[in-house]
Amino acid sequence: MGIKTHTTRKTPRPKGKGKAPKAPMSKKTTTLPLLVEVGTEELPWQVIQPAFTHLARAIQKVLTDKRISFGAVRSMGTPRRLAVLVDEVSRKQESSRREILGPPKSAAFDAQGAPTPAAQGFAKSQGVLVKDLQIQDTAKGAYVCVVKEEKGRLTGDVLKESLPGIIEKLSFPKSMRWNDTGIRFARPIRWMVVLLGQTTVKFSVGGIVSGYTTCGHRFLKGKRGKRATISSPAQYVNTLRRVGVWVDPDERTAILKTRLSSLAKSVKGHPFPEHADSLLEQAVYSLECPHAVLGQFDSLYLHLPQEVLITSMKEHQGFFAIAGAQGQLLSRFIAPTNMKLTNMSLIRKGNERVLSARLADAQYFFNEDRKKKLADRLDDLNGVTFHKKLGTLYQKSERMVALAPFFAGASGDVQDKECCQRAALLSKADLTTGMVGEFPTLQGIMGREYARHDGEAESVCQALSEQYLPRNPDDPIPASELGQRLSLIDRIDTLAAFFRAGVIPSGSEDPLGLRRQAFGLIRILVEGTVDINICSVLRQARAQLDAHGVRGNHDAQAPSEEDALLTFLAERVRFYGRTQHGFREDVMDVILDRPTPDSFHVRDVFLRMEALQAMTAEVDFEPLIIGFKRANRLVDKEQWTSSQVDSALFEDPTEGELFFAVDKARNALSSLMTQRDYRGVLLTLLGLKPAIDQFFTAVLVNAPDAKVRANRLSLLSVVKHVFLEFGDFSKIQVQSNS
Amino acid sequence: MTVQDLILSLHRFWAHQQCIIFQPYDIEKGAGTFNPATFLRCLGPEPWRAAYTEPCRRPTDGRYGENPNRLQHYYQYQVVLKPCPSDVQDLYLASLAQLGIDPAKHDIQFIQDDWESPTLGAWGLGWEVRLDGMEITQFTYFQEAGGQELNPITVELTYGTERIAMYIQEVESVYDLVWTDGVTYGDLFHASEVQFSTYNFEMADVKMIRTTFEAFEAECQQLLQAELPLPAYDYCMKSSHLFNLLDSRGAISVAERTGYIGRVRALARGCAEAYIEHRKKLGFPLLQPQGASQSVKRKQKRKAS
Repeated sequence: MGIKTHTTRKTPRPKGKGKAPKAPMSKKTTTLPLLVEVGTEELPWQVIQPAFTHLARAIQKVLTDKRISFGAVRSMGTPRRLAVLVDEVSRKQESSRREILGPPKSAAFDAQGAPTPAAQGFAKSQGVLVKDLQIQDTAKGAYVCVVKEEKGRLTGDVLKESLPGIIEKLSFPKSMRWNDTGIRFARPIRWMVVLLGQTTVKFSVGGIVSGYTTCGHRFLKGKRGKRATISSPAQYVNTLRRVGVWVDPDERTAILKTRLSSLAKSVKGHPFPEHADSLLEQAVYSLECPHAVLGQFDSLYLHLPQEVLITSMKEHQGFFAIAGAQGQLLSRFIAPTNMKLTNMSLIRKGNERVLSARLADAQYFFNEDRKKKLADRLDDLNGVTFHKKLGTLYQKSERMVALAPFFAGASGDVQDKECCQRAALLSKADLTTGMVGEFPTLQGIMGREYARHDGEAESVCQALSEQYLPRNPDDPIPASELGQRLSLIDRIDTLAAFFRAGVIPSGSEDPLGLRRQAFGLIRILVEGTVDINICSVLRQARAQLDAHGVRGNHDAQAPSEEDALLTFLAERVRFYGRTQHGFREDVMDVILDRPTPDSFHVRDVFLRMEALQAMTAEVDFEPLIIGFKRANRLVDKEQWTSSQVDSALFEDPTEGELFFAVDKARNALSSLMTQRDYRGVLLTLLGLKPAIDQFFTAVLVNAPDAKVRANRLSLLSVVKHVFLEFGDFSKIQVQSNS
Repeated sequence: MTVQDLILSLHRFWAHQQCIIFQPYDIEKGAGTFNPATFLRCLGPEPWRAAYTEPCRRPTDGRYGENPNRLQHYYQYQVVLKPCPSDVQDLYLASLAQLGIDPAKHDIQFIQDDWESPTLGAWGLGWEVRLDGMEITQFTYFQEAGGQELNPITVELTYGTERIAMYIQEVESVYDLVWTDGVTYGDLFHASEVQFSTYNFEMADVKMIRTTFEAFEAECQQLLQAELPLPAYDYCMKSSHLFNLLDSRGAISVAERTGYIGRVRALARGCAEAYIEHRKKLGFPLLQPQGASQSVKRKQKRKAS
């Protein structure tokens, strides 16, 4: 069977009398659907959706660039195929007409009308004969011009040239070679189906020639075997279904969801909600024929911590855990399968055996680990390196214990302090347990479980389990205050230590995830209940590093290390404000660009930003800033330092009114600032607007009398300093000019 | 199907696919990849097809014979094909069918598993193959080995012999596997698991091993200087195993770990470079038609004797 030839459908000429319409009008271009399927060996599930999305975008772009009109675009895929379907693709490219201007007519032709070298050169460069040059009248005069008409080519011919590059250029986080064509792809490409209407668009990529034969499900045989011929793009989805492949991810999601809930319902449960969504996505992109089987494990294992059970099911096997009506785990699981057989018992049994072996291993670790108390494991931490320049985890724990008192509650409660130190002491001990060695994601969680077993205080246990929160931007911060403190202590020590060791993130380099650590720190400080001055705890953290003999590369430059850290943290605050709250950059500048004093209260900084961001919506805000900036500019220009105002020198009532208003505002501000009522502060400043505006309208600051002028500058200096109490408003960018 | 029947079936299957049925290499190693029939033969332009059983030692995986699924010594069944055939997945599935595992009755999935061996300076992309949820094979398209970019690409199939046998024989403990009629896996290996776990975790003389590591490393370097990549590679393998022993004794910190791995990797890279050079000097004999290659081999032999 050869390649089907495409027959052009000719538009019939209208019958009847009269002239036929001009050619371009009558040739009503027909459209055809397009299918591009790249068949591969099993792709990693994470790359499939991004890959077919990129493929679709690249195809749309090429159609647009090549002047080929098209309709709806759909993209889809499974582990073994990336597919794009485009409706109503124009059968032919639009023709194009381009005019290229050359030299002026006067330079191109001499007085006799003979072409000069300029004309000859231009014609040559454009690949035309001199006689083909035309003259175009432009606003600047007559110019020589070449008109290039490109006739629209058949879409199939255009695609034949463009598609190979598009497919070869698809990029993946990791790609590989498999043959000597030099092509790289996530996994080997084994076939391609490219159809425009019923015709194949034939080309080759990585040694594979496109055709119209696709592969069905690896193991399920369709009516026509595992291979299938796609007769037209419209038949693609249905044809694949007949050979056991559900190519549309949405369809697979729906099938799996139904299957999951019906299986779970059969045991009066539901898929454990916290991981169901992410697992579902993984399953959808791991299967061509979505199905699932319900399995069971020995209920004795239900005594293991819930997280251990869930991790064993989810991370290793991709199984869904099932929760009962009260949210408790049931001794059941659902395994997604790529096979749908009448008898699933063989598959079910296999999956049960695997899980049971995993749980037996977990049980073994759980029993062994509890034979040794967490507190007795501290010595083992001596053998675990935190970082080659920063000593062991034992030393890190010691530093954390020493830092704990500075994070304990403001009340100075002794018990509180002891809990905090205890939590810091035990925080890393679970890293030496067999369970965490086997399931690293259970760090902290196992600390809680083993601490409970050892009879540690419940608040300490909870803090241990929360110490790594938030791990990522979607995670909650620790719920308990002790948990927040422990997480802060850990992060502060880590940041101070790595900055000391000179391991500082730069550009895209942040191998140890310090930015993420700092981001979590900022979130806890803003969203949590612990209120600390970062500067002072950082100083303590650095003192601890000194005490432990951790030396940096540039010991003498200790102050710059502190600066670097504060700048880094300020940058993270900015990132937090930008990404989580959409704060304006200039709003953040007002607060962050102040000369850094001894204190850096992250929450305070955040509250100011938040209040200011809200205030920017007020109608009077910009005019107020314009007034402030004017005052600020005058004071700065004169480098005016005095704030001594003598009311006897007032010549205009607006001076007295401004003086009175500012004085009143200053008094109000001091208590508002203490209460962190930043909205109140800003409203008070906003209240100064009429007085400032009237002042500038009524008086000339540069009065002829030097004393009056000095007095007015002093008054403006007072105004400036009242604003500075909150932040540097000169950073605000106003739209209109003052 | 007994364990030895399973091995024999795989031998027959892959022999039929023009594989050389190779034998295990007589030096301790953590994986079949270390066997020169994989690590060295995947280098350079010469084609190569081999299949063999390889005993593997992973000291940290010992469980004193108490865990039904974990062993510090077990057998991998290893297949290497270079260049990789385009139907290699189908070939692999056919080999399973040979073992009585009918893909149409099970759920076989190819789950992404990108392989990397920091000690060998090697990596590749591929899958772990799961049979009804159980990992039975590691399937890798090598991209680099000994720090050398590979061309042509070798595909490596590593069957978990015991796992597959347990599945086929439907036993819950590896020690219950029937090796051949009347002899179980436990009969053959249980005592060795107990004794070696004790040795690996408790008895191995750390000081002696550290010193020996240094000595083997030096030996490897000296042999590389002498342009003897094959014996040099022996000492690279030995060093790697000693590193594993130190690891199971808990004698190396995280920081030291990276250091040791780097040292073994440097040896592996040296061996890889020297091996390619050596094959090049021979004119890459396996690239030649069969006859020519034989005569070169004979000539070499005559020279040696």
